[in-house]
Amino acid sequence: MAIRVHLDRVLLERRMSLTELADRVGVTIANLSILKTGKARAIRFSTLDALCRELDCQPGDLVAYEPGPGSEEEVEEEAYGGA
Amino acid sequence: MRTLGPGSISSFLKIILDVVYFALWVAVAVLAALALLAILLSFNPDFLKSAIHITGEDGKEFAANDATMAAGLTAAGLYAVGVLIIVGRLRRIFVTLTAGDPFHPDNVRRLRFIGLVLAGLELGRYVFWMVSAFLLPGVSRGGHGFNLTTWFSVLVVFVLAEVFREGARLRSEAELTI
Repeated sequence: MAIRVHLDRVLLERRMSLTELADRVGVTIANLSILKTGKARAIRFSTLDALCRELDCQPGDLVAYEPGPGSEEEVEEEAYGGA
Repeated sequence: MRTLGPGSISSFLKIILDVVYFALWVAVAVLAALALLAILLSFNPDFLKSAIHITGEDGKEFAANDATMAAGLTAAGLYAVGVLIIVGRLRRIFVTLTAGDPFHPDNVRRLRFIGLVLAGLELGRYVFWMVSAFLLPGVSRGGHGFNLTTWFSVLVVFVLAEVFREGARLRSEAELTI
């Protein structure tokens, strides 16, 4: 997938730990870790809203579209390949 | 009444499947022992001929020979093994249903396997019918025709496997939705 999450960079800029953010947002550290490492498949608007509020940033600061080789095939595979 | 989770209809069905599963193990063991016995007794064909008789459609009696008896018992044993495999997979599916997790990714594989075994059993039945018709002409054999219900069941199982695959995919997506 060509969507990249820059949560680690924003956290570093705000000098905030993942644990602190988890406490403030009300999301578990495990789930934030999934988001940070780019393993997440989707993000709820409510989560994005809470992250932007606590990190005082825009959604575009957290996620970016960075197409690379094979990203389109990956999307097709995810859509039709199944579980 | 709840259909999924502990203490639900699923857990009740799981208990029934457990009982059937162990009964089938006993049946398979008995059939294997009988098949082995038939093979051993085949060294004394006169004993078997005097012990077992098969009645034909016209009332004519056929004395079972050693090879047909052993083959018949082996076929019955293989059929029981097929049913045992299906019940075994169903038990595992019902374990996940009892745990309240129907869309476990393994259930897709289990359902597909059940469909394949069902189809295999039906094909095996046709082969058995053809072979027995060739070896024992005129002997009564019940239920030898093309069974539409069985093939319909096979297709339903395969469709259900796809439904579960979609469910497993959605579950995986939900797990990775933050």
